[in-house]
Amino acid sequence: MTGWTRRRLLRAAAAGGAIVGGGAALTAGGGNTLLAAPSVDTDARILNFFLLLEYLQETLYRDGLEHGGLTDELAAYARTVGPQETEHAAYLVKRLGARARPRPKADFGAALSSSERFQAAAIDLEETAIAAYIGQAANLTRGAVGAVGTLLSVEARQAAWLRSLAGAPPAPRAADPARKPSDVLAHLRSQGLVS
Amino acid sequence: MTELTLESVDRDEALLDAVSELYGSTRAGFLRGAAMGGAAMLSTLAAPPTAAAGVSDVAILNFGLRFERLQATFYTQAEELGTIASMTRAKQTWAETLGAHERAHVRIIKQVLGPKAGPAPAFDFGEANSTDAAFTRTAVAMEDLTVALLTGIVPQVHDRALTAALMGLLTVEARHAAWARHIVGTVPAPAAFDTPKSLHQVRGVLARTRFIAEQPKMTAKRRPKYTG
Repeated sequence: MTGWTRRRLLRAAAAGGAIVGGGAALTAGGGNTLLAAPSVDTDARILNFFLLLEYLQETLYRDGLEHGGLTDELAAYARTVGPQETEHAAYLVKRLGARARPRPKADFGAALSSSERFQAAAIDLEETAIAAYIGQAANLTRGAVGAVGTLLSVEARQAAWLRSLAGAPPAPRAADPARKPSDVLAHLRSQGLVS
Repeated sequence: MTELTLESVDRDEALLDAVSELYGSTRAGFLRGAAMGGAAMLSTLAAPPTAAAGVSDVAILNFGLRFERLQATFYTQAEELGTIASMTRAKQTWAETLGAHERAHVRIIKQVLGPKAGPAPAFDFGEANSTDAAFTRTAVAMEDLTVALLTGIVPQVHDRALTAALMGLLTVEARHAAWARHIVGTVPAPAAFDTPKSLHQVRGVLARTRFIAEQPKMTAKRRPKYTG
């Protein structure tokens, strides 16, 4: 089953031209979706990675509302979405228990200097999180996949909402790409958000 | 603000051609059963949700394919009917993009299934895609239902490469739903978690819309029961 599915997925991705980031996004190994055997330990690593992303988003929205001089529309967005990120983080913390990572000390400095910069930073962070989730969600144990799916779909709703406000295409592709954790972390480091 | 659901789009409680296609029953048989008690009959016709763990990836994908075909046809017909051309430019972009994406999803899932892909049913959307207002209302409900369906089936899939691929479609459907909601002035992300629906529940909703018009012929005559 696995063999034909992967082969066909790869062909389909190439033929449909729908999956950006290379057909490799859909294959095991070497791609952006790294398939490892699901286990409690793997779950903890992945969920902590997701928790970092939720903490960063929560912080951006909280700080943006405090310091960002946001437009009314963006402020309404941040007031709705910020608490959703808090709920996502709380869910992950509950799931991780004692293994939950500490909250990062993120400084969004430059992103808070104007509404436009905040908007650009938020789009970047939302898209990064979505690609990170897509890349790792399938590696979770069955019990965790379901809940993460219902959280990921909300991340995608948030991104589309934000892009609508920015006048950017809310759904720019027929299938969203995956990003591997090392790329995601390197990107966050380049933004000065993690050390 | 009134929440839009696909259930509210078609309130006609008359019985449902779609069911036979999805449940492998004839329409007449379904009608007889339904006369005995609608909702109860629906639940006996459908596989119980607890059986979902045993549903094959091929069966799940084929249901997904039917659903993507439903959506793709809905948007394509709206283009052909001129419904989309009658909209504001911003709404045209939205409707055309969603149509293109749903058609791409059909292509992707068909290729994944290869020869195992099921036949395309005929759809009848009635008035639901012939006016701007009806089209928009239905599209919002349909996109939200797709998110509910995909979040429900993703954890049922056995193959993890397939799970990963479906996650990348799920996020696009969620973007569609949020975009649609933004256009009608409803909160695009109304809750921190979406509520998944089982295949069984989605079948029930689809059945009530009567959007799936054609039942394929029974593939085989019923065999006499072997009683010895």
